[in-house]
Amino acid sequence: MNRSSGPSPRRRTVCVLSAVAALALGSCAGEPPAAPTYASFEDVRADADGQVVDLWMYGGDDQGNAYVDDILAPAAAEEGVTLRRVPIVDTLDAVNRILSERQAGRTDGSVDLVWVNGANFSTGQQADAWRCGWIDLLPNMQFTDPGDPLLLDDFGTPVNGCEMPWHKAQFTFFYNSATLTDPPTTLEGILQWAAENPGRFTYPAPPDFTGSVFLREVLLSVAGGAEAVPLDYSAEAFDALAPDALQALDRLAPSLWREGATYPRDEQALTTLFADGEVDIAMTYGPATLTDLVGSGALPASTRVLTLDEGTVGNASFLAIPANASDPAGAMVVADLALSPAQQAAKADPRTWGQFPVLDTDRLDADQRARFAELPASPVVPGYDELSRNAHSELSAQWVPALDEAWRQEVAAAR
Amino acid sequence: MLLAAPAVVPVVLVLGVSLTAALGQSLGLMPFIGKPSLSLRGWSGAAAELATSVGASAYIATASTAVALVVGFVLAAYVLAAPRPGRVVAALSAATIPVPHLIGAGSMGLLLSDSGFLDRVLGLPDGFPALVGSPWWSAVIIEYAWKESAFVALVVIGSMSRSMTGMCDSAATLGATAWQRIIHVVLPLSVPALAVSGLIVFVYTLGSYETAWLLGPISPEPLSVRAVRLFGSVDLAARPEAMATALVSVAVGGAAILGGVAVLRARRDLR
Repeated sequence: MNRSSGPSPRRRTVCVLSAVAALALGSCAGEPPAAPTYASFEDVRADADGQVVDLWMYGGDDQGNAYVDDILAPAAAEEGVTLRRVPIVDTLDAVNRILSERQAGRTDGSVDLVWVNGANFSTGQQADAWRCGWIDLLPNMQFTDPGDPLLLDDFGTPVNGCEMPWHKAQFTFFYNSATLTDPPTTLEGILQWAAENPGRFTYPAPPDFTGSVFLREVLLSVAGGAEAVPLDYSAEAFDALAPDALQALDRLAPSLWREGATYPRDEQALTTLFADGEVDIAMTYGPATLTDLVGSGALPASTRVLTLDEGTVGNASFLAIPANASDPAGAMVVADLALSPAQQAAKADPRTWGQFPVLDTDRLDADQRARFAELPASPVVPGYDELSRNAHSELSAQWVPALDEAWRQEVAAAR
Repeated sequence: MLLAAPAVVPVVLVLGVSLTAALGQSLGLMPFIGKPSLSLRGWSGAAAELATSVGASAYIATASTAVALVVGFVLAAYVLAAPRPGRVVAALSAATIPVPHLIGAGSMGLLLSDSGFLDRVLGLPDGFPALVGSPWWSAVIIEYAWKESAFVALVVIGSMSRSMTGMCDSAATLGATAWQRIIHVVLPLSVPALAVSGLIVFVYTLGSYETAWLLGPISPEPLSVRAVRLFGSVDLAARPEAMATALVSVAVGGAAILGGVAVLRARRDLR
């Protein structure tokens, strides 16, 4: 070291340390200034002209990607808004980005619009990361039913105008009718069938979204039905109800694929096992994708949807705008467009994406209703009315991490 | 020291800031919501699980490093001992190096999974052990060993090809068999390169995520997989635990480097 030309080593260390501390602390200092607010949709439209909206959404669904790129984005361009799709592996990546940018005090956030599900919505709500009160401005909200419970609560978190419904979904089991000729008709029946046919059934490991839903469905089934479990989480309800469900799954584990020593990592891994003929029953929260998967030959032609007597859980997925979005007006225009009857009908076509619409058909005029009536039926997936028969709502979001963690400790780590 | 500043300062700053931030978050001092309050819950809340994860990570890293060193050395010895056919082997193993681990892991999955390529082509018997998602982490270790053995071989070949040829020739002239040349000439000369590359491979596989995530079983979890899972939890309260897990991984890696360097220093003959 050249001692004559620089500060003493100790002082230099202090300098570096204080620079490190300043950077570390500076990243969490400062409240973000308020984002623009709008009184009417006309103001929104005026402000939106020329904005570039970054829609962050799960990128693993080819049909969804094609719908956004080829149908929604050109329609947005006609409204003067450029729509860019940002594909992500997990919606939580978008939420993490928003939270980190807020922590760093950034108001020109890189996320303008997110396709969000209940658990991630709740994560953002915990941190006040979403813009609220904007969906009342949207003209196309008039076509939704304000009393529809699926649109009022998202995983037990009140929507409160902080996200706009995009499509409805129904948790769905499907099976290979070539190998399983007499399928069970209840979840209890599925578990019993799995015990009698070792190695032919498994489920994705929670916290995978689908595996997590399956876990909650088992909780409801073992407890004796959806009414037996309170939607709101409480430690008492958890202690009273969760052990039975976990024990049932633990007892079942030796009869599962790989004797329950491991589980498919996610829904895609389970679907691959199903496609390879290693298991006979699989599950998804996005039955819309099945039409395309069977049509393209990725799944066997003998794939059939398995509806349960007691019904399955249904929900709606939403579009949310982060509180620090840099183009909130453009995001609102895109969201309103996505809710329009024309877009909802286009998206509901199984050849396009097959996502179930969130609109209330009674509120549409005859022409608009006709668009939905003309949609071709999917050869694989029954209509929403049949899929959602006896449907129940999602438990509140707090059940999710509690059950996932208990499953990890008592079922996954037990063998 | 001033000459090294352009290289050292950014590293120290980036590492310092991220480690300080991780430490702050693990102690509850930088929460997304609520007031900062010092808490050791992220560290002590699941100490037993953390210990299991350390064990899993250390096992994977040790096994992968051992296999990579053996295979890498054999590759290098072959290339050095048989220069002409060795060129093909050297080119093949060098071609492995730019393949990203994620692609390697994906390919291993397609190759080795229960109804993967290998099974379809060879029709493996029912009793053949499952490699992907196996309790012994077989597919994970195979992937690391395959990728890292090429790296080990490259380091070994690069560190001594010039001096080696002459010595091997002399030994051969004196009547040493190929096997004797490898054991008594190539191996002792390779030890320093093997030690350094082994240390790098160990620390890399200890902290690496995607291969263990894709090809390993669901439980137990190595440190990296646990950290990413907790970081991605819908429950923001799991963040301190995620950061604590990541820091444990850094600490184990740091300890391995310090230990390794200390051994190298003490055994001057290895340098």
